[in-house]
Amino acid sequence: MISEERIILMTRMASYEDNEGKKNIAIGNYFRSDYLSLQVLKAVLCGTIVYFMLVGAYILYHFEELMSDIYEMDLMGTGKKLLTIYLISVGIYALISYVVCAWKYHNARKNLKHYYNNLRKLNALYKTR
Amino acid sequence: MRSLLEFREYLRVFYSKYDVYIKPAGKFLLAFVVLQVINARLGYMSRIDSVSMVLIAALMCSFMPRNFVVICATAFILLHLYALSIECAIVGLLLFFIMFLLFFRFASKDTVVVAILPVLFVMKIPYVIPVAMGLLATPVSAVSVGCGVAVYYFLHFITENEPALTAMGEDDMMTRFRFIVDGLLANKGMLVLIIAFAITIAVVYIVRRLAINYAWTIAMIAGVLVQLVVLLFGDLVAETGVSIAGVILGSVLALAVGKVLEFFFFNLDYPRTEKVQFEDDEYYYYVKAVPKVTVTTPEKRVKKISSKQ
Repeated sequence: MISEERIILMTRMASYEDNEGKKNIAIGNYFRSDYLSLQVLKAVLCGTIVYFMLVGAYILYHFEELMSDIYEMDLMGTGKKLLTIYLISVGIYALISYVVCAWKYHNARKNLKHYYNNLRKLNALYKTR
Repeated sequence: MRSLLEFREYLRVFYSKYDVYIKPAGKFLLAFVVLQVINARLGYMSRIDSVSMVLIAALMCSFMPRNFVVICATAFILLHLYALSIECAIVGLLLFFIMFLLFFRFASKDTVVVAILPVLFVMKIPYVIPVAMGLLATPVSAVSVGCGVAVYYFLHFITENEPALTAMGEDDMMTRFRFIVDGLLANKGMLVLIIAFAITIAVVYIVRRLAINYAWTIAMIAGVLVQLVVLLFGDLVAETGVSIAGVILGSVLALAVGKVLEFFFFNLDYPRTEKVQFEDDEYYYYVKAVPKVTVTTPEKRVKKISSKQ
């Protein structure tokens, strides 16, 4: 016989799985540390690509001055400066990513807990049939 | 009021019945409008500046995920910029790369705002977006809104300075590149608007989440006032030349849109609020329950009158 309670529960869970749950379940498959390291790694990669693009744009912008001063430039000093800026900017971006992703992971886990509770409830409903 | 509520119920039933068709149609319409606006404003590449191309792209968007509209719009913009000059395309590509790689990773849900916002700018009503996003989304959406403002100002700069850009000879590649970068970075109006929108979204979000009566209405009023103050202050400090009448009119419209959103998404019956207290093993609960305003749609009865007995 059709159980109304079971159908309501299943509909709710199916709707969750289709929408918000899809992402949350994907996040929930990871351990916290694994998820965060992967996201920070992605952030570092993206940050690095953007940094090099910006440096390229800077060189293009100051091309003439750079070409005329290239022999008088302190290449080591410039390299060090570029590296410091790279480390600081990518570091800050990675830190922001870490905080945002930790918050996302926390929320996903909280929602999944509710979802798993519903699963258990559903299981119990089947057993008491 | 009752007839409005009934209308809302009708809409809800209609949407749930036909959402298989409404969603693609909505995406198609959005893509069509966005791409048409891009073609009308930029339109440097004749090959894609035709309704048939827009229709093909919009049809593609209708059965792809919502964010595909943004990718399509980006492709159209970059192709037009490439047709104008390679330097414009390089700066555009850089701008979009920064957005996609750095920002959209956090706010993938409301990326579509980046495509909608420039259209609203063209319609002179961008002030609606921060209030709407504060009501319906999270403060993270400030990222997408900020990117949308940057895209609009970049395109606006290109269209404004198109004669100057085309007047520069082929050999002035560096000068053209510098000219575009300077124009983008030195735009104080853009910066003020990004800050104002971000603050507005945060204020609206914080106030609407407070456990106070009429939180949504208070939130949108507070948001609009804060937006007005920040824009006027920005104008005073950075001389952005913002049109005060435009801002005030836009704010009134933002309030109207906010009220419509409230009616559809958060219609509560405050006079019937109930306050209850109870406890379990671990907590003591102070619960304030506000009922939603609902009506049942009247059933239509069709009475057949036939002459045959």
